[in-house]
Amino acid sequence: MSDVSVARSGPSGATAPEGAERAAAVALHGVTKRFPGAGKAAEPVTAVDAIDLEIADGEFFSLLGPSGCGKTTTLRMIAGFEYPTAGSIRIFGEEVGLEPPNKRPVNTVFQSYALFPHMTVADNIAFGLQMQGVDRAETTRRVAEVIDLVQLQGREARRPKQLSGGQQQRVALARALVNHPKVLLLDEPLGALDLKLRQTMQVELKQLQERVGITFVYVTHDQEEALTMSDRIAVMDGGRLLQVGTPQAIYDRPRTRFVADFIGDTNLLTGTVVDASTARLGDGSPIRIETDRAEGSTVTVAIRPEQLGLRDPDHPRDPALDAVHGRVERLTFLGNATLYDVVADNDPTLRIRVRQGNAPGIEHFTAGDAVRVRWMPSSASALDD
Amino acid sequence: MSVLEMPGAGGPDVAEDSLARPRRAVDRVLAGNAWLVFAFLYLPIVVLIVYSFNDNQRVGIWTEASLRWYGEMFGNARVMDALRNSILVAIVSTAVATVLGTAAGLSMERYRYRGQRAFDGLLYLPVIIPDITMAVMLLLFFVQTFDLIFLATGIQFSRGLGTIMLAHVSFNISFVALVVRARLAGLDGALEEAAADLYANRWQAFRRVTLPLIAPGVAGGALLALTLSLDDVVIAEFVSGAGSTTLPVYVFGALRRGVTPLINAVSVLMLVGSILLVLMSLAVSRGRESSGG
Amino acid sequence: MSTTVPPPDVQPDFDTSPPVHGAGLERDAEKAASRRGFLVGLPSYAYLVAFFATPLLIVVVYSFASRSVRGATVLTDWNLRSYGRLTDSLVLTIAWRSLWIATLTTLVCLLIAYPFAYYLSTRPARIRAVLLVLVMIPFWSNFLVRTYAWRMLLGGDGPFTRLLEAVGIDGVQLLFTPTGVMVGLVYGYLPFMILPLYAALERLDHSLVEAARDLYASGWQAFWKVTWPLSRPGVIAGSILVFIPSFGAYVTPEILGGRGSTMLGSYIARQFIGSASDWPFGSALSVAILVVMMIAATAYFRAGGKNL
Ligand SMILES: Nc1ncnc2c1ncn2[C@@H]1O[C@H](COP(=O)(O)OP(=O)(O)OP(=O)(O)O)[C@@H](O)[C@H]1O
Ligand SMILES: [Mg+2]
Repeated sequence: MSDVSVARSGPSGATAPEGAERAAAVALHGVTKRFPGAGKAAEPVTAVDAIDLEIADGEFFSLLGPSGCGKTTTLRMIAGFEYPTAGSIRIFGEEVGLEPPNKRPVNTVFQSYALFPHMTVADNIAFGLQMQGVDRAETTRRVAEVIDLVQLQGREARRPKQLSGGQQQRVALARALVNHPKVLLLDEPLGALDLKLRQTMQVELKQLQERVGITFVYVTHDQEEALTMSDRIAVMDGGRLLQVGTPQAIYDRPRTRFVADFIGDTNLLTGTVVDASTARLGDGSPIRIETDRAEGSTVTVAIRPEQLGLRDPDHPRDPALDAVHGRVERLTFLGNATLYDVVADNDPTLRIRVRQGNAPGIEHFTAGDAVRVRWMPSSASALDD
Repeated sequence: MSVLEMPGAGGPDVAEDSLARPRRAVDRVLAGNAWLVFAFLYLPIVVLIVYSFNDNQRVGIWTEASLRWYGEMFGNARVMDALRNSILVAIVSTAVATVLGTAAGLSMERYRYRGQRAFDGLLYLPVIIPDITMAVMLLLFFVQTFDLIFLATGIQFSRGLGTIMLAHVSFNISFVALVVRARLAGLDGALEEAAADLYANRWQAFRRVTLPLIAPGVAGGALLALTLSLDDVVIAEFVSGAGSTTLPVYVFGALRRGVTPLINAVSVLMLVGSILLVLMSLAVSRGRESSGG
Repeated sequence: MSTTVPPPDVQPDFDTSPPVHGAGLERDAEKAASRRGFLVGLPSYAYLVAFFATPLLIVVVYSFASRSVRGATVLTDWNLRSYGRLTDSLVLTIAWRSLWIATLTTLVCLLIAYPFAYYLSTRPARIRAVLLVLVMIPFWSNFLVRTYAWRMLLGGDGPFTRLLEAVGIDGVQLLFTPTGVMVGLVYGYLPFMILPLYAALERLDHSLVEAARDLYASGWQAFWKVTWPLSRPGVIAGSILVFIPSFGAYVTPEILGGRGSTMLGSYIARQFIGSASDWPFGSALSVAILVVMMIAATAYFRAGGKNL
């Protein structure tokens, strides 16, 4: 009991080492989790593999990756439901890696909400405060406050079952927020909602986070959700951290094939390095690309379809743009844009997808047309692998 | 929706008449069989109840309705003693078995440790072992243990209500554990994690979240234990001593000597007890469904 | 300060420090959890070891002891004589009778219960719930009383016999015959067959049957190729739940059986109660029946059965 209040008493500064700059809200160092494999002789499964990660105070931080990449395991280790096999987990500078969940200043919003079915909405929300020994008047006040915050007025006496999915979601959120956690952990909190509701809740959740200023660690496998909501994103695969950065940086400058592929639609072109700023594609056309790879080695270049434009090849070339010549193989009308699949003239293995807006004045082509595909050299990025 | 779920409801089936007609014939046969089964299940019970109100000395010959045998039953000291013994044994053994069985269920379902599989086997065995084997085992055990105690201390224990209670606990633990486990398995583990996440220590999490949610399972297990204890005749016959007869043991013994109308009345009394317990467990299981999970 | 922080964490260079936990440090916490789980179960296990496992062991020990002339058990002369007697012709006769009575009981239960459970599982949910309750009531009712009811019904001046006489059938004697015992066993254990069958059939997705019909199966073929195989676990579970207690039956043959219908259960009991008692031999019989039962139960668990 008393441990709980001690652990939660000080603001972040209290346990941070003096003199150091403000500690990260969450800092993971070399965090690894191995599960014993199923069956006797089975190899252990490495769910999380030596992750280093620092999440700043007040950040909306997303863990993004395909199913089974270790997002939930990472989050559960921060919450205390799972203990790391190796590594250090710090919350505002305080090591908590082996602490039980009830002694950590974090709260969780579960994917299934995990609302207590035998308690009313108000009792669910008050639970954490009661466990911490907060007095009754204060509890009532804070519960009312947070019910206002998530707009659940009038539903206090209901049971979770008598609420819609979206309302249950808000109760789960309120139940965590009422404790003023230093960090809020959310495991695919919108996963159970239908698309429309999910989109509204995305906006609400983001606004709420800005209002309360609590650090959010948000697990999702939905790249769009991560891109629209997050201050920073960590992309994971196979238990490893592949890239951490702002949504813009992750989208515009993917560092690996996996990241480029997983987030958005992308074209991957293979070229041979000529020098530090030039490469040559398979069809011989030179392109400008920044790379530190050795001369003569292959480099993979990623370009988003919407960064590409189509032009009649008879037009004079714009020297500021790189280009490839080809023939439209197929087009798909999307409404606001049209997708063109283009096959390069000199290299039938080189296929490029172009997404061209449908605004008036933009040139249009049909299948079989010869075209020039062109792009700004700055929109192409060289991948590490 | 399945055709089978709408027997005889012509509506949607009409278009598929060729398909539906032979189905209906089969359905009628199945329904006939079902009525026969229910008749088979209930007729003996009904006849027993009716004949318990028969005034005649001879069991099978109906003369006139009376409460004569009920009067005799309530006036019969041995029957009343046996009834009291049965209730005492059932309540004590159920109370102990419910606590132990719930703990065993929790330990099995919520934790992993070495030796667990051996315990799992130990927990299942009493469920599947035939009554007669269990009775023999416990009889020999008590005889042997009491002999050893007498040799060591000079104190002579003898079989009685205590041994029946010990024996009943020993099979009821398993039944309670089975029911509680099933309930726990259907309980979202995230609920207990959520409690811990919200600063509940282990005891608080159990007390405030786990226990209320498995309560219907615990109650169901307790009712099952109560029923089994009141039902048991074989084990009680073996491990009881003089003066510690339970009601089923009394009836069984009396039956060996011959059928009397008094037994009819006693049987109906036991039947009424059983049915009250069924109704209670139905109420409990209805609560189980409504309290979610 | 809280007791939770290990000393190395207070170093100022926390942002770049190497991992503080060595590989596998979570094991301590996991071990503590394991120990806790074990302790929670310990009282129950201790009880079962004392009052179940030990008695089981004593039976095995007794089965190797011998019987004195006066009927007492001699715990000094260990031998296999009691097991040798398992092949006596009387024992074999009784074992054989138990086997076929139990087998027939199981088959009859299956034949009655399958169409019944099928019918039940295809009713609308509301009706199904009510019908299920009607099955449960006799299931939970006192077994002895239910068996006794048949003693009354089948008795010489009982209603059943009178009914037969009234329609002109004379001299049918069911009471005190193996058939009488079987009627009692079927009656006693029928719910054990109905419930697992119902559970299996209720889970069955009826659109599978419709899919089979759609693929040109006749009603009979659809049943044989889809419904029956999918309900097999229920058939196996029910059969074993009926077979085991029937095979070791004691109460039913005592009440409804006669001289020619002694079954293993009553034969074992006779070794412990009354003047002709022979505890070592009774113990050997119990061990034998236990082994048969274990084999059946193993088959049950193999077939995926879990609960009653
Ligand atoms: N308790 C456990 N025991 C054994 N293996 C586990 C356990 N929990 C997770 N794993 C394994 O660890 C890996 C990562 O699982 P995790 O749940 O973290 O993935 P995830 O990224 O959250 O996936 P999803 O998007 O499907 O939720 C998976 O291969 C999973 O099978
Ligand atoms: Mg997950």
